[in-house]
Amino acid sequence: MSAVLEVSDLRKTFGGITAVDGVSFEVRDGEILGIIGPNGSGKSTLFNCVLGQLSPSNGEVRVDGKVTTGMRPCDLNRLGVSRTFQLLQVFPQLSVRDNLILAGQEHQGSMYSRLIGRADAGLGEAADQMIAFFRLSHLAGEQAGSLSYGQQKLLDAAMAFMAGPRLVLLDEPAGGVNLTMLGLLRERLQAYHAERKATFVVIEHQMEFVMALCTRVLVLAEGRLIAEGTPQDIRRNPAVIEAYLGHGMPNA
Amino acid sequence: MNRAGAIAIGIAAVVAIAAPFFLKPFGIFLISMWAVLTIAAIGLNLTLGYAGQISMAQGAFVGIGAYTLALLTQAGVPYPLAFVAAGLLCFAIGWLLGYPALRVQHHYLAFVTLAFTTLVFLFLRNEEWLTNGIYGVNGIMRPTFFGWSTGKAIDFYFFCVGSLTVLSLATWWMLRSPWGRAFVALRENPIRALSLGLDTRRYTLMAFAIGSSLGGLSGALFASLVQFIEPASFGLQRSFDLLLMVIVGGSGYFMGPFVGALISVLLPEWMRITEGYYLIVYAALIMAMMAFCPYGVLGMVERALKAAAVRRDPPTPALQSEAAGS
Repeated sequence: MSAVLEVSDLRKTFGGITAVDGVSFEVRDGEILGIIGPNGSGKSTLFNCVLGQLSPSNGEVRVDGKVTTGMRPCDLNRLGVSRTFQLLQVFPQLSVRDNLILAGQEHQGSMYSRLIGRADAGLGEAADQMIAFFRLSHLAGEQAGSLSYGQQKLLDAAMAFMAGPRLVLLDEPAGGVNLTMLGLLRERLQAYHAERKATFVVIEHQMEFVMALCTRVLVLAEGRLIAEGTPQDIRRNPAVIEAYLGHGMPNA
Repeated sequence: MNRAGAIAIGIAAVVAIAAPFFLKPFGIFLISMWAVLTIAAIGLNLTLGYAGQISMAQGAFVGIGAYTLALLTQAGVPYPLAFVAAGLLCFAIGWLLGYPALRVQHHYLAFVTLAFTTLVFLFLRNEEWLTNGIYGVNGIMRPTFFGWSTGKAIDFYFFCVGSLTVLSLATWWMLRSPWGRAFVALRENPIRALSLGLDTRRYTLMAFAIGSSLGGLSGALFASLVQFIEPASFGLQRSFDLLLMVIVGGSGYFMGPFVGALISVLLPEWMRITEGYYLIVYAALIMAMMAFCPYGVLGMVERALKAAAVRRDPPTPALQSEAAGS
């Protein structure tokens, strides 16, 4: 299987603090890779470096073999890499439908054709399909800001999928979502993955969610990779248990 | 647009066409000024209200547009060309002024643009070889189109209202295109916008450039309306006034600048019945308005309409429990 994303020897320092310390891994075509680790282990920094939101201090990122280190997030997105955010990031004053059209519009035509012609033609229909897929049809015309937290999480995910990305990075999709909504979110992500053969990378705290969704898991602690394996391996790995629970609590 | 809005605009259009026939020359001058400044406020509403980039420089762009038209027409350039040049020059300068906005936001950006306004004012005052300094520029022409001379106040008023109509329709059209959506995205969440493939850098510069070019076109009309311009007309006061129009009318509402300019241009004149106190009363009214409707007149109207709709048609209990459960 070919690698969609390759990260080699990625480092990011903030002043004297090393947030990500020489991390290398690859994401294979069609897999759902989970990245777990305690708070402050460097997960989000790693994501932000991969996505061009931060520029790494050292190392290289490749998407489909192409070096993307230092590329702006918007250019990376148009290469087919999209993301969701840990904290809610929808456009509250736009309708649910407009949020999704916006998520697709920059992938069609040039900037000037978007002003002169109707470059968003067809996006309305695609948006409606995505809305239906995420079970939000009854809310299509509502302002995104008026949705419940869980519904906004679904919308956030839908936006990441709108342009038919090759690779989706999900930053704590389950964070703050109640159990019913969580089940729906997981089921929809799996359905999307099965249907479109997209590749996911998921950062998550919620262990059950990761174990149920991911095919392979990486564990990050203090900026380094400390373990890799199937969800079952990871659950039994003593190094992981120690990283999560600290020293002196081997039986916890 | 809903039916009530369409009817309101229809009535406003009839009033705008009929008004000059019932007014004395000073009244016609005032409503012409309203039309002219509305154009500049539409530009600022685009930059600030839609794209979320605060600018205290709109008064300076009105000045640049006014001087461009005045100096070019006096150098013998045909009016239409000078008019377009005023817009283009402000587009280019507005684009450059957008660069600081890529680095700083909010009150920092306000100060950058404030400094720019001061810079333009000093340039207009000190570069006498070009601008004639504090003596200003006199005898600015009004155009003639295919035999229709706009020399008389009422004709020039119709030229201003015609320009306002064309420019506001063009803005309306742009705001309904994907660009309008992109500008709102820029205001609401630039980081998310960037991650969805929006080239926020280019959209920010465009928001500044287009907003500024509307300021320039407004300035070109301003020059022909007053026929005498001086640097003091385009200082900080003008920028603050335009900002007031956008905020009071309702920032981010398409019709906001129309209402805001009406209040800013006409209210002080109506307050003249209080004679020497008219500016004090005007200032007090603005303060009260901002305290009780910070979203501007149109924001207040929208809230009132929404509240009335909820009273008429309360949400069903089923919907409420669904919202609570999710």
